[in-house]
Amino acid sequence: MNARLGLEEYPTYDSMIETLLKHQFLPEADVLRLCDRARALISEESNVTNVRSPVTVVGDIHGQFHDMMEMFKMGGYAPDTNYLFLGDYVDRGYYSVETVTLVVALKVRFPDRVTIIRGNHESRQITQVYGFYDECMRKYGHAGIWKAFTDLFDFMPLSACIENQIFCPHGGLSPSIDTLDQVRKIDRFAEVPHEGPVCDLVWSDPDDRTGWGMSPRGAGYTFGQDITEQFNHNNGLTLIARAHQLVMEGFLWHHDKALVTIFSAPNYCYRCGNQAAIMEVSETMETNFLQFDPAPRRGEEQQAQKRCPDYFL
Amino acid sequence: MNSGGGGGGPDDVVAVAALIDELKSEDVRLRLNSISRLSTIAAALGPERTRNELVPFLVDMNDDDDECLMAVAEHIPSLVTSVGGDEFVHALLLPLESLSTVEETVVRQKAVEGLVKVGERCDRASAMEHFCPLVKRLATGEWFTARVSACGLFACALEKVSSNGNGGEEEKKMIAQLRSLFGQLCDDETPMVRRAAATNLGKVAEASVEDKQFINDEVLNWFGKLTADEQDSVRLLAVDDCVSLSKLVSEEERLKSIVPVALKFSSDTSWRVRYAVAQQIYELCEIIGADFAREDLFPAYENLLEDAEAEVRIAAAAKVSKFCALAGPERSRENIIPRVRELAKDASQHVRAALASVVMESAPTLGKEETVNQLLPIFLVLLKDEFPDVRLNVIGKLDQVNEVIGVDTLSKELLPAIKDLAEDRHWRVRLAIIEYIPILATQTGESSFLFSKEASTSDSENNSAEDVLNSLCLRWLADPVSSIRQAAGQNLQNLTALFGSAWAKEHVIPKLESLLQTEKNYLVRVTVASTLGMLAEKVDEGDITGTLFPIAKAAAADSVANVRFNIAKSLEKMAKSVSAGSAIRTEILEVLDGLKADADVDVQFYASEARNAF
Repeated sequence: MNARLGLEEYPTYDSMIETLLKHQFLPEADVLRLCDRARALISEESNVTNVRSPVTVVGDIHGQFHDMMEMFKMGGYAPDTNYLFLGDYVDRGYYSVETVTLVVALKVRFPDRVTIIRGNHESRQITQVYGFYDECMRKYGHAGIWKAFTDLFDFMPLSACIENQIFCPHGGLSPSIDTLDQVRKIDRFAEVPHEGPVCDLVWSDPDDRTGWGMSPRGAGYTFGQDITEQFNHNNGLTLIARAHQLVMEGFLWHHDKALVTIFSAPNYCYRCGNQAAIMEVSETMETNFLQFDPAPRRGEEQQAQKRCPDYFL
Repeated sequence: MNSGGGGGGPDDVVAVAALIDELKSEDVRLRLNSISRLSTIAAALGPERTRNELVPFLVDMNDDDDECLMAVAEHIPSLVTSVGGDEFVHALLLPLESLSTVEETVVRQKAVEGLVKVGERCDRASAMEHFCPLVKRLATGEWFTARVSACGLFACALEKVSSNGNGGEEEKKMIAQLRSLFGQLCDDETPMVRRAAATNLGKVAEASVEDKQFINDEVLNWFGKLTADEQDSVRLLAVDDCVSLSKLVSEEERLKSIVPVALKFSSDTSWRVRYAVAQQIYELCEIIGADFAREDLFPAYENLLEDAEAEVRIAAAAKVSKFCALAGPERSRENIIPRVRELAKDASQHVRAALASVVMESAPTLGKEETVNQLLPIFLVLLKDEFPDVRLNVIGKLDQVNEVIGVDTLSKELLPAIKDLAEDRHWRVRLAIIEYIPILATQTGESSFLFSKEASTSDSENNSAEDVLNSLCLRWLADPVSSIRQAAGQNLQNLTALFGSAWAKEHVIPKLESLLQTEKNYLVRVTVASTLGMLAEKVDEGDITGTLFPIAKAAAADSVANVRFNIAKSLEKMAKSVSAGSAIRTEILEVLDGLKADADVDVQFYASEARNAF
C-alpha cells in the first residue's frame, strides 16, 4: 500500500474530515481503512520525527472533543495552520473516539501539515482503564475499533523535533538516553513497556530537584534542571516542549525556560478548572502561547462529573 | 412461546425465531435489540398468536433490568396494528398496566405514555369495558406508584367516555366515578400522588370542558386544595394549573378563584413556587388582559423583579420586555424601568445576563425619547459588565435599538462602548462586534464618518473615534485568534460589497499589501492571502488587474507553504472574477501553473485544483 494518499483518494478523506468536524460518526469500515492508511504512513516516520516551523504545538486533549473544536477556532484549522500533536488524544473525556479519529484523519489527509506522536494513554493497558476501551464498546458495540486504534498507536513516533531545535516528547527525558540518535535507534513498534527508554519518553516529568528521581506515577522518572540543560547542550537544542501534566494556565515554563509544559484540555475531566493552551512556533522559532477556556456547551458533561484520581494527572 | 409463525419467507421465520430467542437471552443488549423489534416479531406471528402468545409472554416477562422494562413500555404501543386492529387493542393494556406500577419512575412514565396511546385507540365500548376499569384499579391501588400512574390516565379515560356527548346512564355513572376518584387522588396522603394530580388537573379539566358546572364546582375546589398544599413541590405544580384553568373558566371565576391564588403564590414562602409564578405570570396576565392585571398581577410581577432569590429574578427579568409591551409605556416607565435599572446592577451575573438578552426589546414600547433617556444608560452599564455573557447578549440585540433611536444617536452614545468591546479580551465578544459592523455600516452608509477617512477630518471631535473603528476592521486581520481573523476577512468583503471597489482600494487593499510584506506571523498572512480572493469577488475587474493580482503574485513566493496554497485558492477566485479570454486571466493562470510545480504537496494540490477549474 502507498504510504501517502493518491489524488483520487483526497475527496473521500476530505468528506471524512468534514463529517468528523460536524461531530458525526464515521462508519466502522471508514475508521478501519483510516487506521490502515495511517499505519502505513507513520510507520515510515522516525522515532524523532522532523517537524518544520512554523507549527502550532498541542498538548493533551483526552477526548474533550468540543474543547478541541474550540482550540481549532482559536488556532485555526488544518491545513491553514500546521499542527504538532503531543499525544494523549484518548481517555478521560467523553469523546475519545471522535477526537482520535479526527486527529488521525487530519494526519492522513495532510501528512506535511500535521504531525502526531504517542502519549502514555496511547496504549492498550491504559485505555482499558481510563475510558477509551469502554467508549469504543459503547459506540461501536465491539472491540474492533479499539483494537484498530491501539494497533495503530504502536506505530506512532515517540517524539518530534522542530527544526532540530525544540525536542518534543509527550512526557520527558530518560536516564537511558543521552542523544537524539539513541532515540532514533529504538525499535518502537510495540506496546508501551513498563520500563526503559520508550516508557520514560511518554511518562517522565520535570522536577524542581536536580538529577533523576523516582516518579510518583510509578512509571518513568523525574528529572531536574541539570538533566534538561545537559540534554539540550548535548543535542544542540534550545528547548524541550512536552505535555503530560495538568498546568492551570495551560502552559508552564520549567528549568529556567529550558523546558515548557503544554496542556490543551481546558477544565480537564470537566472539573479541574484549568485553562488550556497551545504553543505557536513561528518561522523564526519564536514561541507564542494562546490560552483558551472550555467551549460553551450544552451541559451534558457538566452534570456527569466523574471523580478524577490525582494519580495520573 | 414457540418460535416461527405465519407470514414471510423461510428466512424471515429464522430471523424472527432468533429475535424471539433473544427476548429470553441472558444478555441485556440482545434483549434490548429484540424488544426494539417487537413489531417485526408481532407481524411475523400474526394477530392471533400475538394476542395469545406474545402479549402474555410480555405480561410474564418480569425482566429485572429497568432499561429492558422501559424499552418494552416504549414499544408495546407499536403493536396496535399487529394485534388485529382497534377492537383488540385493549389486549395491550395488561402488560402496560403491570409496568405502570413498578418502582422505577422512568419506566412508569413510559408505561403511562403507552397506556394513553393505546387508550386513544380504544372505542367507547372498549374504553368502558377495559380502559376505565384499569384506571379505577390503578387509582385505588394500594401502593402509591399505581395511584401516581392513574393520575396521568384520567384525562384520556374521560375524553373517551364522554366523547360525542349523549352517553347512556352507564357512561354517566362511569364519568361520575372517575371524577370522584380523581378528586380523592388530589387529596391523597402521599405527596407524590398529589404532585401527579396537580400535573394532570389541567388536562382533566380540559377533557371535561363541556361541563362548566363540574369545572366551577369540583375542579376549582380541588385546585384550591392543591394550591394550599403543605408541600411546596405540589404547590409549584399547581402554578401551571393557574394558566391552564384560567383558559377554561369564565372571567368572573378567573378573577374570583385564580387571580387570588396567583397573587398568594407570588409571595409564597418557597422560592421554587415564586420561580414558577415568575415563569407563568406573563401568560396569565395575557389571558386575563392588561386591564384586570393592572390592579393586582402587575404589582405582583414588579415585586418578583425584586425577589430575594436570584433564580426568581432571573425568571422575572427574562419577561421584562413582554411585560413592558403589555403594560404600556406609562406604567413601564413608572414601575418597571426603575426596577430594570436596579437589575442591571444585580449581584448575580446570571440575572444581568438574562436581563441583557431581552431588555433591548422594550425599546419599541418605550419609543425613541424614553429609550434614549431611560434605556440607553442601562445598555451602557450592561455593555461594560465584567461578565462576558452579559456583554455578548447586549451586542446580539443592538440592531433592535438602532431601529428605534436611529443611527446618529446610537453612534454618538454607543460608539465609545463599541470601540472598547472591539478590543475585548474575550474573543467571542470581539466576534459579536465584528458581526455587528455590517449592520451598522448598512445603516450609516459609505459617507458615514465611521468608515471613511476624509469625513473624519472635517469633524475633529469624532476624529479619533472614526479612525479607531476604521482601523479596527483592519486590525482584526492580525488578531491572535483564528476565528476573529477569518471574520475580519469576511467583514471586509461585506463592507466592500456595500461601499464599492473604490472604498476597498483606498482603505483596505494597501493595508493587505503591507501585511503580506511585513507581517511575521504566517497565520496572519494566510488570512490576508484568502481575503484577497474574497475581495476579488466584490471589486471591479480593473482593481483585480491593477492591485489585487500584483499583490497576490508577489505573495505566491511567500516562504511558508500555507500562505502559498491560500494564494492559489484566491487566484482561482480572481480568475473567475475576470472576463474569460482576458490578458489578466492568462496571467493569473500562469502564476497558478508556477505553483503547480511547487515543492510542497499541498501547494501543488490546491494550485492544480484551481487550474483545473479552467
